[in-house]
Amino acid sequence: MFSNRLAALALLCWPLGAQTPAPVTPVPVAPAQAATAPSYVGSETCQPCHEDIYNAFQKSPHKLVDTQKRRGWEAKACESCHGPGSKHAGSGDKADIVNPARLAPAEADRDCLKCHLNQPTHIGRIQSGHARNEVSCTACHSVHRNGPNGLVARKIAAVNELCASCHTAVWAEFQRPYKHRLPEGAMSCVDCHNPHGSILRASAQAYAANEPGCFKCHGNLRGPFTFEHAPVRLEGCAACHEPHGSANPRMLARAEVRYLCLECHANLPTAPGAIKNPPALGGVPPAFHDLFSPQFQNCTVCHMKVHGSYVNQDLLR
Amino acid sequence: MKLALALLAAMPLLAQTAAQQAAQPPAAPASDPAASPTPSAEPWITGSIDLGYRFTSTGGDNDVYRSVVNLGQGPRLLGLDFTIVDPKKRLFDHLDVRANNWGGDPYNTLHLNASKKGMYDFNFDYRDIAYFNLLPSFADPLLGTGLVLDEDSYFSRRRMSDFQLDLFPGHRIIPYLAYGRDSGQGTGITTFESDVNQYPVAAHMFDKTDNYRGGVRLEFNRWHITLEQGGTTLRDDQQAYDSTVNYGNNYQPYFGQTLDLNNLAQSYGIRGSSIYSRGLFTANPFSWLDVSGQFLYSIPNTSVNYTQLDSGNLVLQQAILFYTGEQALGFAVGKQPHTTGSLGFELRPVKRVRVIESWMTDRMHTSAAGLFTDMILQPLSAVQTTPTTLDSLLAVNYNQEQVDVLLDVTHKLTLRGGYRYVWGDAQTGAALVAGPGQESSELRQQVGLAGANFRATQKLSLNVDFEDASTSHAYFRTSLYNYQKMRARARYQIASTLALQASFSLLNNQNPTPGINYNFLSRQNSLSAAWTPSKRVSILGEYTRSTMRSNINYLDPEFLTPELSLYRDNAHNASALVDLALPGYAKLVPRLSFGGSLFISSGSRPTTYYQPLARLSIPLHKGLVWKSEYRYYGYDETFYAYEGFRAHLLQTGVTISR
Repeated sequence: MFSNRLAALALLCWPLGAQTPAPVTPVPVAPAQAATAPSYVGSETCQPCHEDIYNAFQKSPHKLVDTQKRRGWEAKACESCHGPGSKHAGSGDKADIVNPARLAPAEADRDCLKCHLNQPTHIGRIQSGHARNEVSCTACHSVHRNGPNGLVARKIAAVNELCASCHTAVWAEFQRPYKHRLPEGAMSCVDCHNPHGSILRASAQAYAANEPGCFKCHGNLRGPFTFEHAPVRLEGCAACHEPHGSANPRMLARAEVRYLCLECHANLPTAPGAIKNPPALGGVPPAFHDLFSPQFQNCTVCHMKVHGSYVNQDLLR
Repeated sequence: MKLALALLAAMPLLAQTAAQQAAQPPAAPASDPAASPTPSAEPWITGSIDLGYRFTSTGGDNDVYRSVVNLGQGPRLLGLDFTIVDPKKRLFDHLDVRANNWGGDPYNTLHLNASKKGMYDFNFDYRDIAYFNLLPSFADPLLGTGLVLDEDSYFSRRRMSDFQLDLFPGHRIIPYLAYGRDSGQGTGITTFESDVNQYPVAAHMFDKTDNYRGGVRLEFNRWHITLEQGGTTLRDDQQAYDSTVNYGNNYQPYFGQTLDLNNLAQSYGIRGSSIYSRGLFTANPFSWLDVSGQFLYSIPNTSVNYTQLDSGNLVLQQAILFYTGEQALGFAVGKQPHTTGSLGFELRPVKRVRVIESWMTDRMHTSAAGLFTDMILQPLSAVQTTPTTLDSLLAVNYNQEQVDVLLDVTHKLTLRGGYRYVWGDAQTGAALVAGPGQESSELRQQVGLAGANFRATQKLSLNVDFEDASTSHAYFRTSLYNYQKMRARARYQIASTLALQASFSLLNNQNPTPGINYNFLSRQNSLSAAWTPSKRVSILGEYTRSTMRSNINYLDPEFLTPELSLYRDNAHNASALVDLALPGYAKLVPRLSFGGSLFISSGSRPTTYYQPLARLSIPLHKGLVWKSEYRYYGYDETFYAYEGFRAHLLQTGVTISR
């Protein structure tokens, strides 16, 4: 049944494919404009003055812009982003060439998106905080970068350093004693966040279609449990944990477990139907728990299956 | 139907061929685009290997050291990083391998990437992470009496492997296959809860999740679709056991009798599976419109077989019934259909204006059913059997609509304004509320959005982001209610050698509902500087000041009297790194780096955590560097002074590179 729906979806989208125009090709310069409008001169014209960049570019993944005919920029990769370069080649003046690094982020991104818009990485782009705050593609990606590892940091430490260069306060949280092991090089920021955007809050990575990315490593907590602990599903792990780091054991949001629990579980019990819309979930009946007794100061000593239980509604086993 | 689907699958291939042909310009230059970009003079392998030995000396609580740092002594493969470029491009164009922290460290990583242009791209990622968690203060009710039973502690390893193979039969159609495995295994101490008493017992955990997925990306100039089908399987086996006389946490006589546990065998056999589907699309039908959407569906399900055998002198609190043995059997199944969809577009009606609209919905309905049978064995009495049906429900519907308008006021200034409406409802079986009823809650939240991006010069930029929310219904007492959220960031490149960055973030939440009165305020201010006063010296410094204040009313569970929960966390965090190039010889330049980080907090859990370090690297020969590193870890908690530790780590070794 579902495959039928996908087939129908593909069929619906087909007309868009049919109207796919030929790849972007340089617009021929009209004779009347030729005297003033710059024209395309090819990447090799750039080489003598920009030799370092040119040489690095030969090993860059973007080199394929120079070699792939279908993109329409064959032998003109430099000008695919910088625009026609004849005027600049003649004058050497930087005012005569487009420099995406000097453009407003949205304008610079349009340059990248000419080729990269219709790719799965950009599904959540327009909803992402990076897009809304105009963090340009080039803030993370080095367009001319040399080497086979792509245009962006790949090593764990390099990825973390790149993210931390803007998110300094977040990186400071990782200097706390209880944290995910990013400073140790076991994880990187992109293990949990998708910098291009995501359907989940805080651009969190999704796992198995639409589950929070936390379950990629903590699969044993995914459930579904016979008795769910509702906040896990409604507000996510961050309802109780500080995933970046905390001074509290287990990255908990409170210094003592009982307060973490009682701040939610403090509603008076509501009889079924007595109140149509109780103020919040989490009602509990009175319990003979003397909080002065150490036995009851850490709720998870008894309610140990706090992420959800398969057999006990009170999450006791 | 199959024929139709086959035809449908084949159509893009045909279209692709046609598109490629159409894209070919009439006369291409005679250059060879497939020529190797690697000059033949370059070596076929480049990379480095970092070998060393670490000496450790720890004082204070070693268990806490292992819970927080856990770096041990011995020889290590600290890093391995190499790239092989095959000039003949037989199996691959290039192969990259990165490995870190092997040979006994708690965080082992390995990444491999191989690709061949126009054929495939293969990625493999492996991590093996050891988790040690034994904190005396965390869950030891008898700590005050001097007994430390290490409850709720564990030592486990998680191993994660991910394989992904992308194939490039053409430029437009990219099929891919992926497999991932996440497994954990370890031991620990958990609690067996019996009425009135809890018994710390040994536990063994093993779980494994396999994730298989495959799909295809159709990437055209004006649109793209990704279709993916995947599935997971879960195996989770947990056992708790004990065969000694265990007096538990409550060693006081109960109605004159001493409670104990003599024997326990408890096991969970959990099996699960999930089928999931993803459909993603992007399109730009017009130059002024980008559209994207996704449809995600998953239906995880689990089944559990639970068995429990225990004996001792135990009690049923409700009936004050003492018994000597118990057998419990449970079986339950649960499923969780989960559907998510989103649709968004970016509209550029005029040059200076962009409108971003997005909508999403997330619907998850969990239901489970089962049977639990508990048999109480009493001396000189009949077996008392209590069957209980297990039945639960959790339904969550979440929706969000957001519109943002971005206006480029000038080339240097962009203003943003927007509105978000969030609504939803949740129902849960009232497991903790008396009776078989249900609890329900709603979510209604309106959020005003604003922002500005000011680029005064290339060297100075300022970004501000602000949200103000008004909520009429929230899921939980502690949820965000009426809140203001703000972030501001400024960057200033004072000179080519000095750059500054400052950021500020604020979250202020109030829920004035009587009985809740939740006030939450969190602030973070940070300042960082990168200074390179000369070619031989570079200095990086960061300072962050964060404060958090939370006040919320709650009810004392015993007498339901109102109480106030206070939480405070005021922290200073600073880190710095000074890098010096020392006088060298024959183009070999030794380097000395020193710095580290410190964390000092006050409030509900005052803590200090120091991590200074110093590094010295001395090149001995071209491609051979002797490296040494010293680190110190110092951890102290005011309220739990016995958990403090100090550790000196000295690591020395060589890096061989080519």
